[in-house]
Amino acid sequence: MSTPRSRLQSVPTHQGRGWASTSSGASDEWLITSAPDVGWASGPGAGTAFLPAPPRPSTGSRQALCLWLPTFELRLELVRSPGLDSTSVALLSPGESTRRTIWQVSERAYDAGVRPGQLVSQAVSLCTSLTLLEPDPAHYDAAVDTMLEVLTELTPVLEPAGRGRVFLGMDGLGRLYGSPPRQVDRALRALFRIFPAPLVAATRAGMAPGKFGAWVAAAAARTGEPVIVPEERLVPFLGRCPVNVLPVEALVVERLERLGIHTLGELVRFPEPSLVAQFGEDGRSALAWSTGRRVDPVRPWHRPRPIRASLKFSTPVGLVETLHGALDRLVERALSRPARRGRSVTGARLGAHLEGGGSWFVETVLREPTASRERIASPLRAKMAISPPPKAVETLLFELTHFGAPSAQTGLFDRKDESGRESGGHELAQGEVPPSLRDAVKELKLRLGHSPLYRVVEVDPWSRIPERRHALLCFDP
Amino acid sequence: MSSGPHRPKLKPLGQPRAITVRTNENGAPVHVRLPGKTARRVDTVRERWRIDDEWWRETISREYWAVVLDDGRMLTLYRDLSDGAWYAQRE
Repeated sequence: MSTPRSRLQSVPTHQGRGWASTSSGASDEWLITSAPDVGWASGPGAGTAFLPAPPRPSTGSRQALCLWLPTFELRLELVRSPGLDSTSVALLSPGESTRRTIWQVSERAYDAGVRPGQLVSQAVSLCTSLTLLEPDPAHYDAAVDTMLEVLTELTPVLEPAGRGRVFLGMDGLGRLYGSPPRQVDRALRALFRIFPAPLVAATRAGMAPGKFGAWVAAAAARTGEPVIVPEERLVPFLGRCPVNVLPVEALVVERLERLGIHTLGELVRFPEPSLVAQFGEDGRSALAWSTGRRVDPVRPWHRPRPIRASLKFSTPVGLVETLHGALDRLVERALSRPARRGRSVTGARLGAHLEGGGSWFVETVLREPTASRERIASPLRAKMAISPPPKAVETLLFELTHFGAPSAQTGLFDRKDESGRESGGHELAQGEVPPSLRDAVKELKLRLGHSPLYRVVEVDPWSRIPERRHALLCFDP
Repeated sequence: MSSGPHRPKLKPLGQPRAITVRTNENGAPVHVRLPGKTARRVDTVRERWRIDDEWWRETISREYWAVVLDDGRMLTLYRDLSDGAWYAQRE
């Protein structure tokens, strides 16, 4: 694989969550299992991709390839504005309005003392020539979409884990693409079709059984030198890793280090009950990851096609009331699209193209599936109040991103009065039982002779006797 | 339609379940057997506390143990000090 090292000197490697550090002494050979002294991922942020999967028959791919582009967003900005490559650049953190902080920094800015998480004022005082960039999430997400599209041609088992990190299931691809190094090479070559060479060259690749192993391998890899861990070498490989690669609470890692347990190899010497006694469920998970007992396969990722609606203003709008009105219209428009096919909504996103470039997004996950305009718009308005668009809005974008069961079923729990108007915000305990629920209970009583529904009520929540705290009350409106 | 069989309106949650426990000379649980399960060894005692309450009616006197079993499971159990019986309870 060609590696334009001269370009690599200027690409950024520092981002807010402290992912990995590079080390010198690179070799040009493919690395089959890693040396223990290479750079490692740090911090529990790695855990985002390794939430313990519920026990179920494995449908994914055991052999995982992790492709990781550190500081993906800043690199994309540098690709978009090559002139910035020779300057000190920092990307501002998204979603903050008053005390803006630094999110990602370039090598030059890092050398000048600028660090992710610093306040802008601190960063500018440390590096007066610092160029600050507003984040453009719409641009980054579009790049991720393109990347996933290209990689889908390689393998159907694809699982993204945030921007700039993706897991590929490689089971059964040996006969198609050849040995594991060839498979990695093939994946990187696919990226060359959409990204410029410096961006692909900065990609770290790790291949191992399971996502955790692949991620640790990718974090240990140097640019242009993938780390490939065969099945039989997984346990010794993990044994050399520091405990901070574990996807557990940061406090657990800190305590392990304080107890003198620095590597996963040291951790596996302890019996499981002792670790559970000390760290609870995290202790059990840590041991399962460390011994290679838990191998999380790459599961095919399914993203429902979002339903989008947008509104372009004739002149940029900064007035919140106007944006709220526009949001209501967009939600209505998206809900009325036939593509929704009666499904309820569980997640939505509001974004904007801003005046003078850049974009802004807020997202919400709804507490319960709904198809009510107000229930979808309300949390987005609240998020907009906390994190308003930093500049006037040229185009407002709205997306229904996640869907639940058809909304006819959830209508059962809609709290509406007899006239059909929303009476949200009241608890059922206050006697305002929705007519639909009352009808449902009536029907069940007719069938079964009693209401089979119960409600958990607090009896004496602070009682020292556990069985006195809560009870089930027959729900019979 | 005639009314169905009488059913209690209020069901308590977290009711204790009777279990079999073998203790050591200090009265600490060493083996626990849940109904219908095989006996497990107590690996670690995480916590121990006592409750004495409701002396004005029927006195409740319990000695609670939060333990970790040898299969890694955490369990809260107590000994009823009035009759010596052991129970497991979800807190």
